[in-house]
Amino acid sequence: MVPATRRPTSAGTLAGIAWGLLNWLPVLAFIAAPLAGFLIYSVFSVRDGEILYRPTIVNYQRFFIDGLYPSLFLRTCGLALGVSALTLALGYPIAFFLSQLRGRMKYALVLAFAVPMLMSYIIKIYAIRAILGSRGMLNQLLIALGIIGEPSTLLLFNLGAVLVTLSVILLPFTILPIFVALERIPASLFEASADLGAASWATIRRVVMPLSRQGAVTGGVFTFVLALGDFVTPQMVGGPTGMTFGRVVYSQFGLAFNWPFGAALATIMSVVVLLAMWLANRSGRVPGAAR
Amino acid sequence: MRLPWLARFGLRCLVGASLAILYGPLLFTVMSSVVPLKAGRPDWSTVTFAWYARLADNGEVLEALTNTLIVGVGAVAASLALGTIFAFHYHFGRGAGREIHQFLIFVPFLMPPIVTGIALLIFFREIGLSRSLLTVTIGHTAMVLALVYRTLLQRLQTLSPSLIEASFDLGAGRLQTFRRILLPHLASAAAAGAMLAFALSFDETLITLMVTGTDNTLPLRLWAMMRTGFTPDINALVTLILAGSTVLCLAVARLIRP
Repeated sequence: MVPATRRPTSAGTLAGIAWGLLNWLPVLAFIAAPLAGFLIYSVFSVRDGEILYRPTIVNYQRFFIDGLYPSLFLRTCGLALGVSALTLALGYPIAFFLSQLRGRMKYALVLAFAVPMLMSYIIKIYAIRAILGSRGMLNQLLIALGIIGEPSTLLLFNLGAVLVTLSVILLPFTILPIFVALERIPASLFEASADLGAASWATIRRVVMPLSRQGAVTGGVFTFVLALGDFVTPQMVGGPTGMTFGRVVYSQFGLAFNWPFGAALATIMSVVVLLAMWLANRSGRVPGAAR
Repeated sequence: MRLPWLARFGLRCLVGASLAILYGPLLFTVMSSVVPLKAGRPDWSTVTFAWYARLADNGEVLEALTNTLIVGVGAVAASLALGTIFAFHYHFGRGAGREIHQFLIFVPFLMPPIVTGIALLIFFREIGLSRSLLTVTIGHTAMVLALVYRTLLQRLQTLSPSLIEASFDLGAGRLQTFRRILLPHLASAAAAGAMLAFALSFDETLITLMVTGTDNTLPLRLWAMMRTGFTPDINALVTLILAGSTVLCLAVARLIRP
């Protein structure tokens, strides 16, 4: 640690106060204040297109009393969990394979999985929609293979299409945290496990999986949160049956024009997100490791 | 570790299939950008660069591209400046306040984008700031800040404190120590963070949708066109963007690699 007198800043002086302000002001103004405002808005209401600035629980009541919202919310949570499960099931073995490679090949393949993360989100949805559509490649392939007789319309505009599209888009987000966790496992542990007579499967189960749990949990929560809040993908590939909670929240800020209700719905979503992060933080810890 | 051949074979198939699924949609776009249309359907027998030439006349898309670049540069500049200050605050400071500060920095990045977007939308309305490219830039900065901050802080933590002590012992002031020791140490991490932030801002859709007024950024323009029908010159634009983001990604990887 740098001695107190030699730190680039020291509190108490005028410069120290300015430094504190410089640090806290932007964070309080542009992060803490909007969050607080958003929570407060959720207890306001709307009448005749005007926002009434008086506290009420009517928004939360509406969520719980109208049977539509809780069931839609649970269904969307289920969808997001499905996306997490699918991407983890595919992403974990891929990350493991990548971590076992050496040299240039490893570097190139890791990049190959990282690059699509930064590539146009809208275009990916558009292209996937074109592939799944009734005149799309997948239908033509299935017809050519003789699996189906005529183009299927079941591939697009339903909740299944949302699940597939989100999984394709979010897969790289799962692979990278797991890969990073796997890379941190010292090679000597693999050797030790083999020296002690463990077969490769036993090494994976007893050494690799426990030590990479944090990465898997991080990746899983990340995809869960992104899938839960998305409203563009469901709108583009979901059709009327692929309604999700995110779409309902978004519509409150558009045509429905009920910002307080939208804020209340988003607050409920945030509670689930925080709960997921808390659970992940608890279960992601390496068993027996000191913290 | 030696795996049984069957497991290795299975893993290879999985990796190959996943890459095909990830790149299939992108390849489809790239291929569509170089074929002409015949009677409304792509004619796969020839190659043309006409769509790339037509792109220069698509005013709406070019305007959206300009807006995207303005927002991206603004968000990168703001998040670099704030990220550096905040990373110093955490690294050289003390006390529990730092943890709360750090937590707040991470919140907009960790929450679903729709929540961050709504919070900012309500905030802008209440303080009377009408929606424009400025509000979009603030929204993007709030989101990418966490990433730039984290990249810089991680690099800062690898700096040996004795280097700073030595600098002070040799009579350098704070500013000089910052310029001669800290800045060179942080430069490549800052560059990597900046590029990553730019790439994220370039593609940001969900927060932007909430906080933009009448100005379109490129993803919003593409989304609007997706509902009304694409023209093939969009494929050309997307191909150029894909090429750009690939180069950016390679550069980031090179910079982050120790």
